[in-house]
Amino acid sequence: MKLYKKEGNIIQILCFPNETVEKGDYLLIEDTDAGKALIAQVIDTQFASIPGILEELLRSLPDGGETIQGEDFDPLQIAPHITYIQDASLLICKIRATLENEKLSPTSAWLPSRSQSTITKLPIPTLLKLAKVNGKLPITMGTTKDSSPLTIDASSLDGRLNIVTGKKETGKSHMSKLLMLNLISYKATVVVFDLNGEYQSLGMSSDGKRNAYHDKIHVLTPSHNFKIALKQLNLHVLLEILIHALHLPGTSAREFRRIWQSLKERDMLNLHELGEAIRNWHCNQHVRDALFSRYHALVNSGFFTDNIAEATLLEETLCKTKEQGGVIAVNLRNTSTIDRQIVVEYLLGKLVDLLTGYRLKAVFLFAEEAHLYLRETYWDDIVTRMRHFGIFTTFITNQPDTIRENIYRQADNIFLFNFTNEHDLEVVSRAARVDAETVKSIARDLPPHYCLALGKVVRDFPMVVKVRALDVKTMGETRLFFKDMN
Amino acid sequence: MIEQYTITTTPKYNFPYPTTDTTFPQHFKQLALHSLQHVQNHSFQLNQHEIQQDNIDAHALQLKLQPLPLKRAYEETAVAAVDTSNIKIGETSTGTLIAVRGATVYKQKRSYRYTRIGPYIFHITENNKKEVYNTLQKTLANPLQEQTHTATPNLQQMPTRIANLLEKWLQTTLTKTAINTLILFDGSLTGGTPETPIVQMKQILETARKNNNTVMAFSKMTNLRFNGYLITEIPLAHKPPYLIETENLKPKPPFVLFGDVYVARLTSGNYAFRLDVDKQVPQQQQIRAIEKLLGNDHLSQSYPETLRLAHILCTFTANEVIAMKHYIARRYGLKIINRPDMHRLLFGPFGKGEGYS
Repeated sequence: MKLYKKEGNIIQILCFPNETVEKGDYLLIEDTDAGKALIAQVIDTQFASIPGILEELLRSLPDGGETIQGEDFDPLQIAPHITYIQDASLLICKIRATLENEKLSPTSAWLPSRSQSTITKLPIPTLLKLAKVNGKLPITMGTTKDSSPLTIDASSLDGRLNIVTGKKETGKSHMSKLLMLNLISYKATVVVFDLNGEYQSLGMSSDGKRNAYHDKIHVLTPSHNFKIALKQLNLHVLLEILIHALHLPGTSAREFRRIWQSLKERDMLNLHELGEAIRNWHCNQHVRDALFSRYHALVNSGFFTDNIAEATLLEETLCKTKEQGGVIAVNLRNTSTIDRQIVVEYLLGKLVDLLTGYRLKAVFLFAEEAHLYLRETYWDDIVTRMRHFGIFTTFITNQPDTIRENIYRQADNIFLFNFTNEHDLEVVSRAARVDAETVKSIARDLPPHYCLALGKVVRDFPMVVKVRALDVKTMGETRLFFKDMN
Repeated sequence: MIEQYTITTTPKYNFPYPTTDTTFPQHFKQLALHSLQHVQNHSFQLNQHEIQQDNIDAHALQLKLQPLPLKRAYEETAVAAVDTSNIKIGETSTGTLIAVRGATVYKQKRSYRYTRIGPYIFHITENNKKEVYNTLQKTLANPLQEQTHTATPNLQQMPTRIANLLEKWLQTTLTKTAINTLILFDGSLTGGTPETPIVQMKQILETARKNNNTVMAFSKMTNLRFNGYLITEIPLAHKPPYLIETENLKPKPPFVLFGDVYVARLTSGNYAFRLDVDKQVPQQQQIRAIEKLLGNDHLSQSYPETLRLAHILCTFTANEVIAMKHYIARRYGLKIINRPDMHRLLFGPFGKGEGYS
């Protein structure tokens, strides 16, 4: 390999056919005289621009598009040299760091010697060691391109905002499960908004038997084993539900606040009394109608109960997970859009309450297709306010444009699976922790179950990893019409 | 002893069998390698300027302005063409590195097939140029034939001369091996030039006639003028294909014309070439041969495709030049250096480079 060109932090390297380098590989450009080396990642491979190549190709096809037949007497054996030159490739590389005295610095301000530098493939384990990617709380994500394991540190997810994204069936949910199970093995509390019911079987192995995580997986299904009593609710949480999920106007919300205060003073906070209070409250008829319609929505959701005994599971589960770690999978599979929003509003409010009161240490929140249940104002809340309380969110989506741009800007880690759509790649490339060229070039060619890990987990050295298999029962599979026929 | 191509006759094809006459390439190869032995660990100056040499024929002539109209003759006839190419790869401290290559293309029915020989790389110095040239001449010309004693060319002429020796050998071989074929050469059928001794050209044409072949030579460039105009640029209100005959073409000694010279406008469009056809072939047969060429080969811009392919196949591309430099560097440990361009050095942006005049 030979150093050809450097423009900004892009380096072009001439690579010959006997040197096998692929997209995603790391190269070490060592200048022994300078005592330094550049670490660059291959983000694209192209044919080297060889003069005369067009003539060469045209010459081989002059006979109406068919290759002309013939014999070549090549006594000096020049032909292998011709193919050697023809097949030379140009590696477009992004400079990631400078290595000097075994220390890495994220600079590309110096220029290695074009004639004297030696270029070699940098083995991933060496890079991981140099970058100190391994930590005390290892999570083995899978294997890198050179079949060495990639182990990240669980603490690099702690207090961070993460995004798992990629097109359908590339392995996003699998990746999320892997992260969740590893987090709970370090006694972390994980809450997942399970839109398709695919996290319910995390506690089962692929053969349907209980696995090591079985006792740590708690499935809460709203209106079934997950209900709440009005007495457990804070007024501001309920008002959030009424205003944001049920779109209660401000005037009506003011009246509701009075009704609530009145019932609370009389210790009569239950569904029946709330209905009666609205019916008998001296207020404008339109306000009453508005309150009534929301009251019925709450009742019909089946999520609210007057039986306190029925409404203790969430807190009990949170207490359990606080001690030994665990996943609370909130099953939103058969829940209507409104009810889903009610549940999410409640749960987020509840978590903030518990975290504010230091009754919980911190929560890793996994939100799949969050745009389907998260109100607009919560996006900013999650990445700013709630993060300070201790809610560390991981967004999982196959529609990257549903996540706001500021979320990408603030994301600490991105687990990027294959995308072929330019628009999708454009959206993801807005992430602050990575350059657009890397995202666009590498993600487009990722095979299924291969992920490009970006951000703090890999110390800003983008790494392609084949996500390891999990012995977990697969759920959330798409129901197929022709399944039995095939 | 030069072996001949083995001809395998089939109802459809009559291509020369590929495992023929390796004696020539072997000699050529040995000489090429021998010349390169002395270049080991030299450094050489890159140079991509190809030396062009025109065969200028500036004799006064007359044209019969009544053209000879041509009709395509679809009688199935094989067409073959020969061409060679040379290139100066670079300079060493003692000489020049050159490469030559030749190609023969055959067309029968609708198929083209080629035989390509080379590239051969030579290191020519003032010391070895005589030896190289004489050895090649002895090897490539018919050893039984009386040698023509031409002076050894200078270094600049060597690439063309060596390529010419190769071309003459290919032409000789082709005329010996092909039967009932229209044989196309690049250039003219002029003998008596340093590149083409009279004896050699005479023998090539005789051999061709013995095998019932007709030799035709297409010149891409000519210096022949009529009334001050180049013969290929004289406009005639006649629909191609047609020929214009030349008369009173009397070359000065030592030049000898072995062909009848025509201006050939074979397709519509403003393209015409000087076409030499073996003089010993009766004119009716000459015209018939050109008509067969029209019926058996694809002609575009008045130029036969078989000859075009021969040219294309032997021409060196930039990629091949790089590959040859790579070969020399690897095989003989040459260090490639760029000698400063004095024009650039002295005149900066006004220096257009050494090849500029």
